[in-house]
Amino acid sequence: MSQRPTHDLTSTVSTTTASRPARIDGRRLRSERTKQLIIEAYLALLRENPVTPMPTAARIAERAGYSVRSIFERFPDLNKLRAAAADYQLAQAAALAPPRNIDGARHTRIKSQVETRAGTCERGVALWRVLVFSIDQDEDLKPRVRTARERTIERMEIMYRPELSTLSERDRKHMLIALEAITDMESWARMRELYGLSFEEACGVWVRAIDRMLPPTPSA
Amino acid sequence: MALPSSSPDGRRLRSERTRQTIMEAYIELLRERPEIPTAAQIAARAGFSTRSIFERFVDLQGLSLATVDYAFAMGEAQAVARNVDGDRATRLQSHVETRAHTCERWLPVWRVVVANQGKLEDLRARIRFIRQAIVKRMELMYRPELEVLSAEERRDLLIALESLIDFESWGRMREGHGLSFEEACSVWVRMIDRMLPPTPPARP
Repeated sequence: MSQRPTHDLTSTVSTTTASRPARIDGRRLRSERTKQLIIEAYLALLRENPVTPMPTAARIAERAGYSVRSIFERFPDLNKLRAAAADYQLAQAAALAPPRNIDGARHTRIKSQVETRAGTCERGVALWRVLVFSIDQDEDLKPRVRTARERTIERMEIMYRPELSTLSERDRKHMLIALEAITDMESWARMRELYGLSFEEACGVWVRAIDRMLPPTPSA
Repeated sequence: MALPSSSPDGRRLRSERTRQTIMEAYIELLRERPEIPTAAQIAARAGFSTRSIFERFVDLQGLSLATVDYAFAMGEAQAVARNVDGDRATRLQSHVETRAHTCERWLPVWRVVVANQGKLEDLRARIRFIRQAIVKRMELMYRPELEVLSAEERRDLLIALESLIDFESWGRMREGHGLSFEEACSVWVRMIDRMLPPTPPARP
């Protein structure tokens, strides 16, 4: 296994004083980039082989194109790498899935929310399973799983505001709990893996279910 | 004359009883800690030697699968379908309460089974079987409402309903959102009621 020469941080250090601030930033940037590539390598291995929730450091390093040492220079242990992967995926979900059509008609909003959520599930289910199954062994994962669920609920509060506004506080809370259950990552995975539905068919199941669950849309 | 207890039938009965005690010890341990226990831990809990486990089960995997089957049989026995010919509200209440009790009793075991499904194809097959049983129960309880739908609509609705009443959905209501047993049942009842089509008038 070869290390990428450009990742030899000492080779980029200049001796001139004037350029020092730029050098430090450059090092930090490269280190961040290395961290990101290690996380991406871990996520790629997870998607390819979900049966192995934690590949060895050697496999991750090989996939990322770094040494095992460079992994442990950035993460104290593999559990911390897993937690960092969760943060990375949460950030990615937020960046790739901004709310759209929030003022659209009922059907437009349902379709928009479902397609966004489906994309997040499609990308994130492999890591999600690891997080959920490891939560009892790793305290760091609990707040991350909670945050992911809260974001799903917050998104639905935005997308279905008109319908939810017609409900009492208690009924709204219960409705959101049920909507979150229906659109759970595992629910998506079962549609795709167990029932063999296409992406579009699975979206259709969610769209129709949510449409049945939501109260009538109040007139504008 | 041999004592009745040492007859072949008596021996078989005792051996069956030992098997059952071992599986019950396994289930108890799963409820306490969400990970597969060692053979030594199971033996200690059951009050037998480790050897007596492997006299009755080929290996720990064999014991795990037998325990899942035993747990499923117990779950089925505790969850007899009731009020299948009742009115809509009665059927909803009956189905949800039965399902809720199953989730309440078996969620810790279910979690360990699901977490370990990647290691064993036979475990995945059992999970599929249990999910099919959950769907079949809904087909039985909501037959009048499901009959008015096309095959595709029925399939889609059952998929969505199965997600709603999943073990983990129950777990989140109880542990994450802090709902009481009755409140959580009420969420399911109201949501299933919303999702089901109107009940057709009874046939004369």
